[in-house]
Amino acid sequence: MGKISTLLDEVAEADIKNVEVNYRGIFQKTLARKICKTLVYAAKEEERTGFSYGRYSDAPERNGVPCKYFAVVAEMSEEDLEAEAGAKIEPNDVNVSIVVDDTMVKGVEPWGFSGIRPINEKVKLGGTLLVVSERSPLELLKNVAKKDFPYKIAVVPGKHSFSGLWVYKDDFTDARVLGALARIEPDIVGLEALRKVVPEKLGAEKIDALNDGYKSVIIKSIAPGEGIDWPYSIPTLPKWHEFKEGIVVKSVARGGRNEDYKRFTTRTMRPVIRFDTCIKCDLCWYACPDECFDPTPDGLFDVNYNYCVGCGRCAEVCPVPNTIVMVDELKFENNDSPYHEYKKDKEAYIEWADQKMGEKRVNYPFVTGTGLIEENVKKNDGEKG
Amino acid sequence: MAEEIVFEKIKGIHKVPREEFYSSGHRTCEGCESAMVMRMFSKASGPRTIALGTTGCMYVANTAYMTTPWVIPWMHTQLGAGGSAALGTSAGLRALMKKGKIPEEKINTIAFCGDLGGADMGLSAISSALQTDYDLLIILYDNESAANTDIQATGMTTWGAQTTFTPTGKVKRIMQTRWKKNVAGMLAAGHPNVKYIATAIASFPPIDLLNKVRKALSAGGPAFIHTLDPCPKGWDYHPRYSDKLGELAARSGIFPLYEIDHGTAKLTYNPPKPRVPVKEYLEKQGRFAHLKDEDFQYIQQRVDSMWEDWEIPGIIPVRNGTIRSEK
Amino acid sequence: MTVVEGKLVESQKEELLTGCEAVAHAVMLADVDVISAYPIRPYTEVMDAVSKLIADGKFFAEYIIADGEHSQFEIVKHASAVGARVFVGSSGTGWMYAMEAIAVTASDRLPVVALVGNRALDDPGAFGVEHNDALTVRDLGWLLVWASTAQESLDTTLIAYRVAEDPKVMFPTALAMDGGFLTHSQHMVRIPSQSLVRKFLPAYNLGDRRLHPDNPISIAPQVNEDWVMEIRMQNAEATKRVPAVIDKAYREFEDVFGRELGNPWLEEYMMEDAELAIVGMGTLAMPAKAAVKRLRSRGTKVGLVRPKWFRPFPTELMQKVLSRVSAIGVVDRDFSYGSPYYGGVLFNEIRSTLYSSKNHPTIANFIAGLGGREISIADMIKMIQLTYEAEEEGKDGQVKWMGVRE
Ligand SMILES: Cc1ncc(C[n+]2csc(CCOP(=O)(O)OP(=O)(O)O)c2C)c(N)n1
Ligand code: SF4
Ligand code: SF4
Ligand code: SF4
Ligand SMILES: [Mg+2]
Repeated sequence: MGKISTLLDEVAEADIKNVEVNYRGIFQKTLARKICKTLVYAAKEEERTGFSYGRYSDAPERNGVPCKYFAVVAEMSEEDLEAEAGAKIEPNDVNVSIVVDDTMVKGVEPWGFSGIRPINEKVKLGGTLLVVSERSPLELLKNVAKKDFPYKIAVVPGKHSFSGLWVYKDDFTDARVLGALARIEPDIVGLEALRKVVPEKLGAEKIDALNDGYKSVIIKSIAPGEGIDWPYSIPTLPKWHEFKEGIVVKSVARGGRNEDYKRFTTRTMRPVIRFDTCIKCDLCWYACPDECFDPTPDGLFDVNYNYCVGCGRCAEVCPVPNTIVMVDELKFENNDSPYHEYKKDKEAYIEWADQKMGEKRVNYPFVTGTGLIEENVKKNDGEKG
Repeated sequence: MAEEIVFEKIKGIHKVPREEFYSSGHRTCEGCESAMVMRMFSKASGPRTIALGTTGCMYVANTAYMTTPWVIPWMHTQLGAGGSAALGTSAGLRALMKKGKIPEEKINTIAFCGDLGGADMGLSAISSALQTDYDLLIILYDNESAANTDIQATGMTTWGAQTTFTPTGKVKRIMQTRWKKNVAGMLAAGHPNVKYIATAIASFPPIDLLNKVRKALSAGGPAFIHTLDPCPKGWDYHPRYSDKLGELAARSGIFPLYEIDHGTAKLTYNPPKPRVPVKEYLEKQGRFAHLKDEDFQYIQQRVDSMWEDWEIPGIIPVRNGTIRSEK
Repeated sequence: MTVVEGKLVESQKEELLTGCEAVAHAVMLADVDVISAYPIRPYTEVMDAVSKLIADGKFFAEYIIADGEHSQFEIVKHASAVGARVFVGSSGTGWMYAMEAIAVTASDRLPVVALVGNRALDDPGAFGVEHNDALTVRDLGWLLVWASTAQESLDTTLIAYRVAEDPKVMFPTALAMDGGFLTHSQHMVRIPSQSLVRKFLPAYNLGDRRLHPDNPISIAPQVNEDWVMEIRMQNAEATKRVPAVIDKAYREFEDVFGRELGNPWLEEYMMEDAELAIVGMGTLAMPAKAAVKRLRSRGTKVGLVRPKWFRPFPTELMQKVLSRVSAIGVVDRDFSYGSPYYGGVLFNEIRSTLYSSKNHPTIANFIAGLGGREISIADMIKMIQLTYEAEEEGKDGQVKWMGVRE
């Protein structure tokens, strides 16, 4: 025994570079896989070894649920690399954590009872959180947990790229992310190698996007202690004798919700409600498959943002234009009850809601992979006639 | 204490019970319509219900251990065991009540199963359950694929659809060449003891499913409901349009809505003529993105034939003594 | 009323019953609530007998004719989950058809009691006994016990309910019976009275695991890799609690019914001072006993060990009993193609059990009586002889197929 533990102390950790891609289940699966696979091909181009894999426990992926894909590269034989990193659920830490939907910086909760985890949880000392976003690193930092060591937040400008299972509209996000990666961590993948493999693996038309990603990435050093105190606790898994035999769980109490699985880290957009224009038709409440609406005594419906997954069904069925509008999740600081705010101060709430809704409507066509629709609305569309 | 169960018809959306018996906190896809089926059937049945669910999305996505979204008692059952789960639960309750081991009362037994689990693998067990005189309801929630295993074709997948078992390839453009089974009709025709059979779509017409569940639970014997559930992941459309797709499935007539109540069959929704072309329903789903006009026409023609040539449109494929089959 | 060892015991009536009928009577006496049936020889007779008892109003249970064994086992699993005492069973290929449901019943910790009328697995179709069907559940959390007489079948069925439903246990239990030899031949069986059975067997109570609107729970939510080890560990530890419950059940059985059952775990026959032991389960004990008796009459120090409970396996007891001899012949009515030594299942379990024994007896293995072939007294004597030879020649671990046309 003693002999083995001494040995363990002496063993140096192998020099392996880990990259993870945080993506939205299904919507971005193809994108995440493409990034990781191309990275491995590029490493091979540089005569290094590597492999890629998806986090097995994310399967089956559900639309929107935060998932992970990984690429591992190192300068060692394939056999050695597999021995070191081949049979893992996920790496212990990563050099770069890529985030292809910036709303995930608010935290990720892949499973019930896993807790809401900080997006930079796996980023190691000196590593980078690389986000596809239209926001600056410092804006993003307002949502990110503080770490007790320095690391970087980098942003490659862009919107989240979504598609579905069968139809995939390519907006070259993969190439831009890889270009940015080459700039941040040339040790992991060099631009030259990428230039060689991208045309074959992703398409010749993507070379510009690759260069663009390389050039446009913004990198910001984050000092220890910068960021927020993480507001969510990670549940402790009970020991084998600390829970009931027979795989039994107590049901949710009547009137309650599943307390150990809040679903909000699934959403990219949240429904904002103009209670003042609501005609109390009940349709939003009826259409929500996640049981998010709470009837209120005055016939309005409060929405519980802790559980809303952002599907947009309520907005789609609402018969009054601009009464429920889906809005970028990063515009919000908390999941507080909007109805409560409305009751406190109606005017302030309406102003706030209008401002959040803005003048643009971001929408998707029926088949997600055919692209995003953005349109302007006339300001007073939603007002009661 | 046991609450009395009154199965009143729900008249209008404002009268839908507010209480949830399948609650927030389940790992279903954004916009999942099968989750809606769970929500609606449990609303309709209320607290004195035991739910049994086969393996599939409505198991794996719904419950993550140490947590559950269920308010009513629920138990997992094996993929092909929807019918047996209903049977065993109902028989267990009846035996205990008859022997005075538990108080006599009506407890709803509802088993739900997916299209692979129910319409393919578990059809025999469902058939068997529907031959008995136990009080039970089986809900086949049909998302037209083995969704939980990442979307494989089943006997219920629409002709021509892309799934991971029926991809479109260089040589074979269409791999899903089976025509969807008419499960409810088949079960109705062959099970004289079944008290109530229906097809439904959770979102359309609104409340229809709730009332069908209530009718089924008050039918006084075995009952079966087949729901068609738009599945944003497998059908490949944006989650916000689940309601719309459900409506189009009904309006195009591709999924006839009917009920057979103690043997009396009736269409519960008659798509206004001219019916919406099926293409309008199909083209909104990425799984049909590879279909050509001739394919849409083929599907249209079969749907038209169902509405025009069948003795009872959508239910019984008989006319003038012949069973309709594809020429 | 008769007096047994100073206690008053209600008279127990005697009837000529097959093994299956004996089990059916136990099912009636246990006041089982839900039964699910599907026909397959040889176990079917138990369901024939049960349905007749119900039809004659001897007891009441919901009796469901399933559409297949998978459904059959699912039905009782779910009935058990709402608090009903259940009975089920199958044989050979039917048992295999139900395997998914069988496995999950143990994971759900539901105390279903099943009869396995041991039968050869297809192909080719064959009705005769082989133990492979029942043995397939040996790793799953099923308690598994072999009976060798009709009386033992009845008694063990009652004990099975008592053990399975004990709150410290809550595992399904399979009673295995040799197809044909035991399932179908009639022997005199003492049938205890209902009131005594009630005394021995408390009502089934799942407690707060009962699925009912008054006790809203979710049973068996999906888990990820964070949970499986702990859940398996719970089950593994629970199996360790079973032996004490079995011991107690046998003692109380004797108390209540006034009949000696002997050691619950294994029957030792003429094992005092034995230098060679023959080991085998089920009805092959009959010719084995005759062989032992004859050889003993000529001064050969041989005995028989007949294991009853195979799961949980009585490791220490087996070590203790078998470490006393210098040679062991294990007779397997099963096969395990490609296993260590190409031997049988029981053989390898016993070999592993004796690994730490100091005197390392020579162990020979005999695969015999497959597909219902008769094992004669002469066969048994031959096996004992071969075991002696193996010991003399120092050939440990020999496997011999007996009675094969060569
Ligand atoms: C006996 C068995 N075979 C295969 C599986 C793997 N499996 C799990 S879920 C599933 C798909 C079920 O499809 P369906 O019944 O349509 O339900 P859905 O997932 O679509 O909700 C399959 C094949 C299983 N769990 N059990
Ligand atoms: S977007 Fe609307 S319908 Fe969808 S989960 Fe949120 S509240 Fe419910
Ligand atoms: S759908 Fe719109 S109008 Fe109807 S209740 Fe909801 S918010 Fe009000
Ligand atoms: S795959 Fe389809 S059925 Fe399954 S959870 Fe997602 S939307 Fe629902
Ligand atoms: Mg399905």
